[in-house]
Amino acid sequence: MLMRRLLWIPWRWWRRASQWLLLLLFLWLFRRTQYGDSDLLAGGENLLFRLDPLVGATAMLAARQWIAQCWPGLLLAALTLVGGRFFCGWACPLGTLLDGFHRLACAGPLAVWRRLHRHSYDRLEQVRSTIARAARFLRYLPLFTVLAAAAIGFSLIGWIDPFSLLFRGLTFWVDPMWYDGADAVFQWSNDGWIASHVQPWAGKHLLPAAATTFQWAAVSAVLLAVPFLLELVGRRFWCRYVCPTGALLELLSRGSRLQRVPARPCPSCRRCADVCPMDAVDPNAGATPESCTLCMNCVDACPKEMVQFRVKSVKGEKGAKGTKEGKAGGNLSRRGAIAGLIVGATVPAAAAVTAWRRPASPPVDLLRPPGVGDESRFLDLCVRCGECMKVCPTNVLQPSWFEAGLEGAFAPRVAVRFQFERGYCEFGCTLCGQVCPTGAIPRLSEKQKQSQPIGLAYLDHRRCLPWAESTPCIRCEEMCPTKAITVVRTYTAKDKAGQDVEIQQPAVDRTLCIGCGICESSCTIPGVAGIHVLRPEAPNPGTEFLLKDSERKPT
Amino acid sequence: MDRREFLERVAAWSTGVCLVSPVFKVRDIVAAELKSRKPSVLTVARGKDCAALVDRTLKPLGGIEAFVQKGMRVVVKPNIGWDRPPEQAANTNAAVVKAIVQRCLGAGAKRVMVFDRPCNDPRRSYARSGIPAAVASIGDPRAQCVQLNPKRCVPVQIDGGKSIRQFEFYRDALETDCDCYINVPVAKHHALARLTLGLKNIMGVLGGNRGELHKDIGQRLADLNLVVRPKLTIIDATRILLRNGPGGRNLDDVKALDTLVASADPVAVDAYATTLFDLKPDEISSTVAAFKLGLGEMDLTKVKIVEA
Repeated sequence: MLMRRLLWIPWRWWRRASQWLLLLLFLWLFRRTQYGDSDLLAGGENLLFRLDPLVGATAMLAARQWIAQCWPGLLLAALTLVGGRFFCGWACPLGTLLDGFHRLACAGPLAVWRRLHRHSYDRLEQVRSTIARAARFLRYLPLFTVLAAAAIGFSLIGWIDPFSLLFRGLTFWVDPMWYDGADAVFQWSNDGWIASHVQPWAGKHLLPAAATTFQWAAVSAVLLAVPFLLELVGRRFWCRYVCPTGALLELLSRGSRLQRVPARPCPSCRRCADVCPMDAVDPNAGATPESCTLCMNCVDACPKEMVQFRVKSVKGEKGAKGTKEGKAGGNLSRRGAIAGLIVGATVPAAAAVTAWRRPASPPVDLLRPPGVGDESRFLDLCVRCGECMKVCPTNVLQPSWFEAGLEGAFAPRVAVRFQFERGYCEFGCTLCGQVCPTGAIPRLSEKQKQSQPIGLAYLDHRRCLPWAESTPCIRCEEMCPTKAITVVRTYTAKDKAGQDVEIQQPAVDRTLCIGCGICESSCTIPGVAGIHVLRPEAPNPGTEFLLKDSERKPT
Repeated sequence: MDRREFLERVAAWSTGVCLVSPVFKVRDIVAAELKSRKPSVLTVARGKDCAALVDRTLKPLGGIEAFVQKGMRVVVKPNIGWDRPPEQAANTNAAVVKAIVQRCLGAGAKRVMVFDRPCNDPRRSYARSGIPAAVASIGDPRAQCVQLNPKRCVPVQIDGGKSIRQFEFYRDALETDCDCYINVPVAKHHALARLTLGLKNIMGVLGGNRGELHKDIGQRLADLNLVVRPKLTIIDATRILLRNGPGGRNLDDVKALDTLVASADPVAVDAYATTLFDLKPDEISSTVAAFKLGLGEMDLTKVKIVEA
């Protein structure tokens, strides 16, 4: 039996303290997921994803391999088996944000509405309970779908995993806005007090280290908005009916030894049902005790101080009412389970839709981060968490969209030129492999990274200035870190003014090229460059003129 | 002032501010300088101890006090172009930069800014070069090694330019924001420009698309040097990059010379540094173009060379 209070402080307050501290920890780790004057990160930046048992489960299922670094997920699963779904109530950063959002944006306005327009508010309540009933039936659908899809090697987790949604939303949408907004203030302050006193501190602790831009940021923003919009339908609606990680923890918590006593509210009072965010203690038959997140609201709210959480003995106490009822009611009804399995079983059919599936051979310009060899294995292992894109110092890692099908969405790609942004893979940087929670991007040493081709560069002699227009340039030669680009021919031409100019023509030695893309990104030709990096296995695009052997030698 | 008048004034001022052309203009001082120019003095010193080397190099030129006066806003502009370790000679020697910054602080500078716009990732290049750490180790808040904010770029009109008429510059390097600009490049090989020395080091205070400059690099570098006029150029030849520049591939490309070359004449100092690579000054197109624009003297026989 647990005490009603710990050190005279209500449990609810402990829970809130834990929630906000862990949210701060998450944000702190998020902020540290960037280059900080060291080639090695401190470690632990990807902790949240390694802690998510669903992330580990889907990656391992899809790739058919054991991923050792996902061990914290096993730990959480084991703790949930014993202690119930405490993670959702006490630790989940998205859950904490939803609670905060509820207090800020939902609770107040809804109470006012309820007071002023009782009738329409009651109608809303009816609609909500209808939605909730339907949603309850579909409770395990997202989980089963994601797992079934993973089992046949079809990655959908990026669309629905709560931490992926949160991390990507923060990285792609919130951070760039946050940085730009702060920068505008600093620029406005110019050399004033804000610039001298606030900027250094804020730049170090609150802001991302550099401005970033991400493709499809709006999609990630909309996906992140979904849990918050659902919060308007009901408290913790996302956590109760959609979140697949929550569903997995809920399944695991069915054997939990921690039980609420009494399981049902007393007939004369339903305070505990009112304060329960998870609908776990409902006086009606629809209660779902296993969705209890041990938030302790009911313990603190009971006017008679009757509610307790008890550790059920292994033999099964007669007094623990929760035991029987916990199994009788609940989210996982037989019908719901069968429906989930049926829909899960249709996933292979959906996966057969060509546009959704990864292509047999990826597009030649779809470059993956350093060290990623096999595209298909990469798509299996990658959980679309966005860590690599957050940490990339040059912002060259961008989310894919449908280049590799629907399931390839949000997986990182090396986007050397997109829209008006340019980037390249920094020669000495190995950060993306250090933060990848599943090893989809392998952890490489600097030496290994510098010998693993991301792609290979091919000149386009029809665009390259020294080849096509007798104009001096060789910016690519200047930038190339491996000096794979050399000057192969030098000749004298006349410029517009009729004066002699020396033209140096570059060529690529593809035995040295590692496809970092700095040549393409720094090429002086705007728009489409005069040199392109293609996947290592891609055939020669034939944009280079054939040179005589005598001309191939560097001058 | 009533409300109506206030609103009218706000509207009028806003319109005015919005319509004013934001292009900067720099005084045309070349012609005036040419008339009053004395023969250029150039000093060369060799030695292992960078701090002593800086002192010896500056002494014949009148010490740092000849360039930095009390209360001046100083910019020390090294080359931090590449994410390479210091021994690969792709960036200016941090010890040299530190010694120069210390001399400037000693002369009573109000603030000393150290910056560059790297070709590689700015944060990585800075960290690897060791220059921010060296500047921080001085422990004087007046000296700061800062990352440049692209929003502080302003377009500058180049009236005397022959190949470009306008380009974007970082404000902090312009004479509006800087009283004494000290150029501290590292001497390196460069395939297109043959060598990268003092005149080419100006690339690090430019905004905009620097790739454009490659189409006529010699003349364009000279044109740009009309805008930012270093009071002093100290070429770091403690280690020079002989080939595969400007980034360098490995230590085989590097040669230790333990040399500093300094002068107030940006052309003479480049001309002399060229000879360290066994090349002639007229083989470097930017040196020739800058000489023709009257930025300095490239004929080393007309320069007073002091071996310090």
